[in-house]
Amino acid sequence: MTEAYPTALQTIINEFKNITPEITNTFIFQKNGEIIASTEASNEDQNKKLIAAFNNIADQAEIIGGIENLTIQGSDSQLTITSMNNRYLVNVSLRAADEKMVKMLTRVIVPTVVKLVDQIPELSSNELFRAKNPEVNPMEEIGPSDKQTTQSESVNDISASFSSEPILPEPPVNQFMIEKIGGLLVPCDIVRVDSEVIAKWHDIYGDKEITQVHIETLEGKAIMCGFKPIKETSNNGKGIIQFPEKVMQALQTSKGKLVMVKPVITRQGEKIVAAKNRRKRN
Amino acid sequence: MQQKTGENATETVFTDQVVITAVEDENSDFTRLSASLAEIRKLKDVLGYILRSDTSAVLDFIEPDKITENAILSSQIHDSCGEITKLFNLGGTESVLVEGENVKVLCMSIGENSISVFMEKNAAHSGIIKRILV
Repeated sequence: MTEAYPTALQTIINEFKNITPEITNTFIFQKNGEIIASTEASNEDQNKKLIAAFNNIADQAEIIGGIENLTIQGSDSQLTITSMNNRYLVNVSLRAADEKMVKMLTRVIVPTVVKLVDQIPELSSNELFRAKNPEVNPMEEIGPSDKQTTQSESVNDISASFSSEPILPEPPVNQFMIEKIGGLLVPCDIVRVDSEVIAKWHDIYGDKEITQVHIETLEGKAIMCGFKPIKETSNNGKGIIQFPEKVMQALQTSKGKLVMVKPVITRQGEKIVAAKNRRKRN
Repeated sequence: MQQKTGENATETVFTDQVVITAVEDENSDFTRLSASLAEIRKLKDVLGYILRSDTSAVLDFIEPDKITENAILSSQIHDSCGEITKLFNLGGTESVLVEGENVKVLCMSIGENSISVFMEKNAAHSGIIKRILV
């Protein structure tokens, strides 16, 4: 599963409510119980209890070949759980909802997107690049030429692919729950990020300096700011990000809300590292 | 194999493929549902059923060796879906459908009686719901 995966799923299920307002709650969980995307209306405790109840049924369902779909028709609402390649989509809607539309969303659209997104990591970055630009042959990707210069000027986002430098992977996106930090020694514009996640970023980008993160709320408010690792080891690996009051105000968000965070990888950052390395060598 | 047992067991009948376990009581819904399910059981894609009340139970399956596992699954579906229904305020449960790779299970509760009908995945379960509710 790619880091961008939860964001893609989150985006889709956020649209459910717009398509069918009778949908009251939607979330996606993995076989291990981890919730990877959920609508705002979701209550985490409630969702976790549902997962436990569902797993109790799944444990006994081998006799029918596992669970592909589970539908509970209540007098007021209906709940469906749809299996999608080791992930499960839970959808709660009022009985007044258009049944065909709900089925199309839960049994066709989301499972299809999951299938497609699952296939993406199988393609290398070069294959992805060629898929976007079928007319460019591999030779043109290596050495500089006039033609390449022209293309790199016209399409900014592909320019990196024409240089001799390796193509940088897309910044991974992580979803965190906000926790508030305060105190005299806490800088008001620095957030604290899980140190394991920071280590992963460094694994991906090697010695490229990452000084800032891009934070976006589910409502679409976004900022870039500096970051440091979370100090308390007990708070690492819990899926939280620590915000000072000022950052929360800037994002118009609050404790307990979810945000999407990705590292900011800039050419400037690369140059700083290159300069540092040159100084070391001299 | 067809069997009736319990506090006031009246008879034990052995046939090839059916097991029935029941305790006699005054539950008229149970008697009516038992008759309906016996008819539903004859449908082409129906693999078997479980009818259970507080004091009585009827189990009838094509494959008797799967009765225990089917009964455990049925009981778990009723218990867990009851919890989920309360948790998400779905209102009174009208039906639960659990679809596996080849088999699906339709579960319903009528009064104190809980029903689970096991059928092939291509079976028309909505028709079965109607027959149970009649």
